[in-house]
Amino acid sequence: MGYYDIDDILAEGTRFPCRFNYEIPGLGYLEGNPGKPISKHSKLELPLWMVHLLAVVGAQSGDINDTEEPLPFVELLPPDLFAPRVLNAIKSGAASLDLHAISPYFYTLAERWATLFSDKELSQVLKDMLLERGQEINNYAVSVSLHSNQGQTNESAVFLQMLDEFEKQIYRDANVNCKEMKKWLAMK
Amino acid sequence: MSLPKNLQVGFSPQEIQFLIENEPIRIMPRITTRKTKKQQSTDLGSQWSLLTCDDTAVNNMVVMNSCEVTIWLALLLKQQGKCNIIVPSWLTLQQLDKYLEYELKNTSRFSNLPWNWLVLSTLLFSRCSDDFKDPVHLLRSKIQDLREVRLGKVNKGLQYLNESHLQLENLSLMEINEMRPYACGIMDKLRTIHDASNDTS
Repeated sequence: MGYYDIDDILAEGTRFPCRFNYEIPGLGYLEGNPGKPISKHSKLELPLWMVHLLAVVGAQSGDINDTEEPLPFVELLPPDLFAPRVLNAIKSGAASLDLHAISPYFYTLAERWATLFSDKELSQVLKDMLLERGQEINNYAVSVSLHSNQGQTNESAVFLQMLDEFEKQIYRDANVNCKEMKKWLAMK
Repeated sequence: MSLPKNLQVGFSPQEIQFLIENEPIRIMPRITTRKTKKQQSTDLGSQWSLLTCDDTAVNNMVVMNSCEVTIWLALLLKQQGKCNIIVPSWLTLQQLDKYLEYELKNTSRFSNLPWNWLVLSTLLFSRCSDDFKDPVHLLRSKIQDLREVRLGKVNKGLQYLNESHLQLENLSLMEINEMRPYACGIMDKLRTIHDASNDTS
């Protein structure tokens, strides 16, 4: 995860549902009515770069001896992205899943989510999915022909549509490498 | 950046060929470069003086006395018809058959072919096909068989990628380079996912 990584920046723009734990004056513009305060318990969808801090930091109570952790400004609600419905779909057939339709930055977001909540189960599901889809990706990446100029068949085009941005990167790297290798072998 | 993107993490096949051309190989010279005492005193100018490899062997070549030089030099001499390359002993039908038999018998292991077998055999097939004792087309097909058997095993091994390690004994440099972007990419991601949920800080 780099600071200047374009894909990370785009991924962090994804909105997550959350609920405010405080009434805060002046923040109404988040809800679309500027100048008004934001009310307690209002539900909002905020970008990840904003909530991942707000969900950790809370208001300081005046009492210094107060040892309890302060209640954070917002509480993250379970998003649709990692709903049991999605996880079950992944477990049942990761290779045929249209991950791009779920989210183009699924891996990055899931990784963030697993970090925030130390979610071991989610990370196990992710690892299994990556391996299973990786097989498919590799198969498509190595089966390149040097001679056909249309490059890819219809089937592989459909498959590529279903890839997450990270997987596309892997596909591209493996594919370029294989092409170079085939070119070298054919040159002799 | 100053280095093209596809070269930032791995080697191109041409670079691997370059690395392998730096290895020694035996040749049969067809020229004599060794000078008698008398000749040495008359002209000193016409001697090889190499910076990156040993030049004593090239300055002491005698016709049909085998000697060891670097592959790039051997190929250069071969191109000019000034030497014959002695094919390494593993590049014979008999030896390749043994390797192939081992590959087929042990489905979970790679035979101990030299680390440069694929590159060296393709180089020699194309540049000095007349120096082989065995028919080249048969050798070619054996090499292709070996390559395919090993590729199959590599693909099977890729199912067992994990976040910690991977053991690849006897896999040649070219084959490693072929799987590098995929294996490294997936393993890196597996590691970050694994670390994400185990982060105690």
